[in-house]
Amino acid sequence: MRAYVTNEAEVNVDGLTSESQFLQLARLEGLSSLALVGLSKNSGKTTTLNHLIRAWQQAGTPRPLALTSIGRDGEEEDVVSGQPKPRLYVYSGTYLATARSSLNRCDALLDILALSGIRTNFGEVAICKVLSSGYVELAGPSQASDLLECERLLREQDSSGFFVVDGSLSRRAQAGGGLTQGLILAVGAVTSANPEDLAETTAHALSLLSVPALEATTSEYVQNLLVSEPCLRVIALPQANDSPAKMLSLPSLVGQAKAIAGLLDGKLKTLMLRGALTDSICKSLLAEKHFQDLTLAVEDGTRLFISPGMLRKLLQKGIQLAALYPLSVRLICLNPFKADGSPADRTALLKALRSISSIPVEDFGPTLI
Amino acid sequence: MTIYLNDAEAKLIGLDEIIAQCRCRCPQGNRLKTNRHFYGPADKKPLQQEFDAIEALMALLKASPQEVIAAQRLLSQLRELRGSLHGLESERLLDETEFFELKRAISIFNQLAERKQLLEAAKVCLTVLEEAQNLLDPAGSGAQGFHIYSAYSAKLSELRKEKLELEIQLEAQSGEARQHLLKKRNLCCAKEDEEEERVRRELGIRLLHWLPELRANLEACGQLDFRLARAELALKWQARKPETVDTGEPAELTAAWHPMVQASLKKSGAAFTPHSLQIKKGSTIITGANMGGKSIALQTCFLSLALTQLAYFPPCEALKTPLYDFLSFSAGESGNFNLGLSSFGMEAIRIRDDFRRSQQKRGLVVMDEPCRGTNPNEATAIVQALCQAYGASQSSLLIATHYKVLPGRGLHFYRIKGIRQTDMDKLRTATVLQDSELIRQIQALMDFELEEVDGSQHTPSAAIQIAELLGMDPNLIQTMQALWQEEKWQK
Repeated sequence: MRAYVTNEAEVNVDGLTSESQFLQLARLEGLSSLALVGLSKNSGKTTTLNHLIRAWQQAGTPRPLALTSIGRDGEEEDVVSGQPKPRLYVYSGTYLATARSSLNRCDALLDILALSGIRTNFGEVAICKVLSSGYVELAGPSQASDLLECERLLREQDSSGFFVVDGSLSRRAQAGGGLTQGLILAVGAVTSANPEDLAETTAHALSLLSVPALEATTSEYVQNLLVSEPCLRVIALPQANDSPAKMLSLPSLVGQAKAIAGLLDGKLKTLMLRGALTDSICKSLLAEKHFQDLTLAVEDGTRLFISPGMLRKLLQKGIQLAALYPLSVRLICLNPFKADGSPADRTALLKALRSISSIPVEDFGPTLI
Repeated sequence: MTIYLNDAEAKLIGLDEIIAQCRCRCPQGNRLKTNRHFYGPADKKPLQQEFDAIEALMALLKASPQEVIAAQRLLSQLRELRGSLHGLESERLLDETEFFELKRAISIFNQLAERKQLLEAAKVCLTVLEEAQNLLDPAGSGAQGFHIYSAYSAKLSELRKEKLELEIQLEAQSGEARQHLLKKRNLCCAKEDEEEERVRRELGIRLLHWLPELRANLEACGQLDFRLARAELALKWQARKPETVDTGEPAELTAAWHPMVQASLKKSGAAFTPHSLQIKKGSTIITGANMGGKSIALQTCFLSLALTQLAYFPPCEALKTPLYDFLSFSAGESGNFNLGLSSFGMEAIRIRDDFRRSQQKRGLVVMDEPCRGTNPNEATAIVQALCQAYGASQSSLLIATHYKVLPGRGLHFYRIKGIRQTDMDKLRTATVLQDSELIRQIQALMDFELEEVDGSQHTPSAAIQIAELLGMDPNLIQTMQALWQEEKWQK
């Protein structure tokens, strides 16, 4: 895969969208935060982030970028395929939240401004300002609460910063969770070089990422509950407004289908689940006779890890999906290179992807470094 | 010199929970808190210094709370620096984050050093490290951040200029020219790394000069933090400074209370009855009816005395105490099934060890109803023997028991006042109530106050009466009363 090049001629080839159009297409002006999510590994997430950073710099946007990642990203080589991976190039004035051991692998001059107290496998997360442009490695926290703390610390340095969370190598890890408002999806021919297949997989991912917002009054009620009791995992809201909500505090949703099923009584309006919603949980819930005709809510679309078949089964039972924090997918970026680095049919892939939604789908090409 | 207390007893007394309420801001303060230094008879002077500092800080907290809040904000920014200081000492190459931490710490020391009134009250000294601060902030900008400044080395400055120029050129180049520039940039970065490393090593060597001051300042900040935290706790409790008296003098507690029990009672709308008593050399025996609060009285007294010897202001109106060599609290052993030991076996070991210690040192041994599961005749003999033996020792035994202890030399008696007979009769005529409400009413009538007695009175008991009030079968009660009268008559 050729994720970056040094020859400008390779960037300006036919069919590629100019990097200068990135911001305009992604409509980022009104947002204060953004998540970058990849449909799969090697889907071109770092390249997309490089495009965003360059476009931001070229546009002379006065708001600084404030970058972090979920876990570690930006390795020079793909640990699985051995192919070279793009590096992240940042400009002076950018803020970063990255782990201490990653600082040694940055050649940009960084001013260390604060230490967050957040521990990761790569050391404590430091808050830095880029003083002179260069390459950096991002290794941020993996817990949603720690990401929120990183955002707070970055905003302490500059409240106007545009907070960008780079998703982890694992597929669509928890990039949302109420942390970001907008989302850019990176889609690669790595997932499938067949246009129809890739479009179908992307359409399914979009349908999950873009689940509609939970009804306003219910959403406000649930958000307040979560503020007062942060350990809550399950909230069952009855149809009758005067009936009390039933709640469960659990360490995670994994293996808890029976406990969740215990709250189902045929009179529920909404079942809110905090955490990753998988096929396995849905399968267990679908076996319950009272699990029908209700709204199944999650924090945001990135928490949904369900297959198309399972989604169909849920819909057949009258289960509507909703998100506490709806995400706005602003842009889909295509990486038309396959896992072995050979190119797929860019034009056909773009055409197929553009047919599935009104969200702009672009190939900005490899990053020029 | 220590406090003997197993985990279950520590939980029962609430010592850990109480100490957790003392909120230190920095790791150095927290370490002092966690160490739980026990001040024994030889530490009277340093303990007095601790108390004087806490008292002065309480006054400052009242007069200038903003001053203290600002200092605590600074303390909360201090980090664990033992690793970095050890690195300095062993001439390990520190990384930039470690220099950042040292720069922050030095800045905090210098800011705290300006707060003369606070430091005077806390009785701590901080050395101003202006030169060290300048070293880590060569531009003198006062900026909080840190990086390897170009000002440290002309070579570094040149390399960075070169790198910047290359980056500008890179923006305008492509193809082979760009490749060439990228290679040059990589080379430049490698040289920059090398020079940065040299600067870091030099910085480390220069900072080594202030290592003793850095260590002393961190220690002082820990003391300031811990003393401030204890002053805050004392203010919250409205606690008074305890007084230490000479070895052999009695401990005297006035209106001692237990913060956790009080909080729990407050929730249910009840009030805590404070306890006042004197613990002389010898044995002090507390008797009282069931539900009279003997255990709470023991825990309250022990908590106050333990906190005092850990240099906290105790939750008391007043407290005078000698400094004991050791304190021990045993609430009766429940056995350890894992070790295959019986309850009494464990209890006997504990009694043995406490007694041995009390023969060699002056300790305070507190026992809550020892031998409660033992044959009453034998248990009475054991308790009587213990009271007599401690009565003749230099140590003090504070014991709550239902068993009859006969007066003797060095034996002092207290009893919980309990419920008056007239109140008991009123309750008997009350309408039928739920169990929990009935227990609450019995507790409400109970006078938990301790009164000193001469020990010649009979051991108060209201167990059968309470059982009757709680609706025990009348025939069963009648038999109980008959047997009880017979027992008393025989004695």
